Amino acid sequence: MAAGTLYTYPENWRAFKAQIAAQYSGARLKVASSPPAFTFGQTNRSPAFLSNFPLGKVPAYQGDDGFCLFESNAIAHYLSNDALRGSTPQARAQVLQWVSFADSEIIPPASAWVFPTLGIMQFNKQATEQAKEEVKRVLAVLNQHLNTCTFLVGERVSLADITVVCSLLWLYKQVLEPAFRQPYPNVNRWFVTCINQPQFKAVLGEVKLCEKMAQFDAKKFAENQPKKETPLKKEKAGKEAGKQQPQQQQEKKEKEKKKEEKKPAPPAEEMDECEAALASEPKTKDPFAHLPKSSFVLDEFKRKYSNEDTLTVAIPHFWENFDREGYSIWYSEYRFPEELTMTFMSCNLITGMFQRLDKLRKNAFASVILFGMNNSSSISGIWVFRGQDLAFTLSEDWQIDYESYSWRKLDVDSDECKTMVKEYFAWEGEFKHVGKPFSQGKIFKKACATEDAHAKVLNFFGSSELLPENKKVVYQRRASRSACAPGGATSPV
Amino acid sequence: MALRELSSLEKFVGLKRQKKISTQGERKVPVLQNNNGSSLIGLVTISSHLVSEAKKTELLGESVEQRAVVQQWLEYRLTRLDNCSQDEVNIILTELNEYLVDKVYLAGNSITLADALMYYGIHHIISELAVQQKEKYLNVTRWFDHIQHYPGVRHHLPPVIVLRNRVYQSNQH
Ligand SMILES: N[C@@H](CCC(=O)N[C@@H](CS)C(=O)NCC(=O)O)C(=O)O
Repeated sequence: MAAGTLYTYPENWRAFKAQIAAQYSGARLKVASSPPAFTFGQTNRSPAFLSNFPLGKVPAYQGDDGFCLFESNAIAHYLSNDALRGSTPQARAQVLQWVSFADSEIIPPASAWVFPTLGIMQFNKQATEQAKEEVKRVLAVLNQHLNTCTFLVGERVSLADITVVCSLLWLYKQVLEPAFRQPYPNVNRWFVTCINQPQFKAVLGEVKLCEKMAQFDAKKFAENQPKKETPLKKEKAGKEAGKQQPQQQQEKKEKEKKKEEKKPAPPAEEMDECEAALASEPKTKDPFAHLPKSSFVLDEFKRKYSNEDTLTVAIPHFWENFDREGYSIWYSEYRFPEELTMTFMSCNLITGMFQRLDKLRKNAFASVILFGMNNSSSISGIWVFRGQDLAFTLSEDWQIDYESYSWRKLDVDSDECKTMVKEYFAWEGEFKHVGKPFSQGKIFKKACATEDAHAKVLNFFGSSELLPENKKVVYQRRASRSACAPGGATSPV
Repeated sequence: MALRELSSLEKFVGLKRQKKISTQGERKVPVLQNNNGSSLIGLVTISSHLVSEAKKTELLGESVEQRAVVQQWLEYRLTRLDNCSQDEVNIILTELNEYLVDKVYLAGNSITLADALMYYGIHHIISELAVQQKEKYLNVTRWFDHIQHYPGVRHHLPPVIVLRNRVYQSNQH
């Protein structure tokens, strides 16, 4: 039985397909959908991610055995059991038929209609009307099929049902109001039955069917468009003038650059529909929000630590300003030193943990040290956390690594604590309790991922100027309409 | 008839050892003889008992509402379906067909004892329907086909052929 991790942003209907399949098959699937395990727009652009998943898109699956897959349908197929995939050659082909049908017939019009109502795509009346007609056609086809069939393939739920239900999910939630869906009773019956199966419910929760057709959310759209003016203008100019003269273009670029420079903090890039959908989700709450303000400014200490001498400046600053009510100091030790083999692998273990704990960086500082050599090493460290408890328990996502370590809260006034802080922060000293020589140290402090992420995107697209337009191409291909629809349809942007 | 049905039900719910069931009286009411000498009388009573004994109580409904609807259809089976006249057959089929427009199962979103007993009870009617009739009562036919394919339900009854492609398209509306 497959076991692994599914990388995705939260509430992604593409990921739902795999998650529901896993519910049926019993595949053990961990979902990494929020920081630190996964940050959409960051994690999926890191070199490590791209080497496994060259498109950098989610959902993406990595098995515990290292097996990697992208494309949601392939992942769902892999996580299914034979009953879901179809038990005869015919059934298997029919499953594939409906899966392809969902992708090519449902998703394009569904996106074109629903995205504007979510405020993540510009509204275009003609495009929406055309999408509505296509949705009607698709529902009619399904309705006809479900006249005589309880489920799409055979007499039980298959991957076909899972895929088509997930593809219809946004439609049913946002726009298929009772009057619109009333002509398709068979589809409604089948859809409601599916979403009420325990395996669907475990993933989708309670699905509330649309009561009133959602309309274009102009306000949200505006909020979601950090650089609204610029690309729109560009687009218009491009359309009117056909091909622009290179020189004109040059001038335009120049102008836009200036404009951007004036803005205080230009966002790194234009959002695509996925990021926008993410942005429109309720924000996860700050797990440290309940703590009273502290006088100890962790960032200031980190700056001192990075830029000045550790023993003579940073550590004295630490003890002068440390707030024992607002912060706590912990000693941690890797529990399975016998499993540590090559030192570079052990180092990856530490940096991997730091990456997964990315969101904690604002509220924690740590120095973690690898001692010893190949096949005889140990890992231990000193952690400074906001609050008095182990921060890991504050968020489920932080718990991935912490169970592999033992944690001991240090008495701030003890000599032991003073010594450990000094030795671990400075990476020098006796390290009496360890009994192995210092090998390498790693510091958990600054959130570097954000800056890196932008740089990488720029690299990928060649220049920042190109970025918005390139993204738009992707956007249109993904969201507007089926590729084989007759020409002349307006683009959604 | 009730005896074979109850023995199929025993298998469906996964009871290994067959119970001692006989019929009594002119109307052939089933009677279950328990080991301790006590007995249970009546189709619905005995089948509910079998379900409980097999620890498949989800077949009696999981929510309050589903349990009530299961009971409703068990009662329907006894009072309306069993021993109904030819005239009543069409009424029953029409009622059921209407009821099943928006439902896959008779009660809730999963199979229950109601589906099984209604299936056993209506089998002789469905198997005699002409193709045209089956199309007329499309929702009943679809439900029937689904239940007869449900693992473990059919047992003593022959499968009824259901055409997926409609012959008499005109009946659709
Ligand atoms: N056909 C793919 C589509 C995946 C996809 O488009 N993923 C988007 C999220 S909605 C993504 O990860 N985009 C990131 C990017 O383009 O950088 C699938 O079904 O898995």
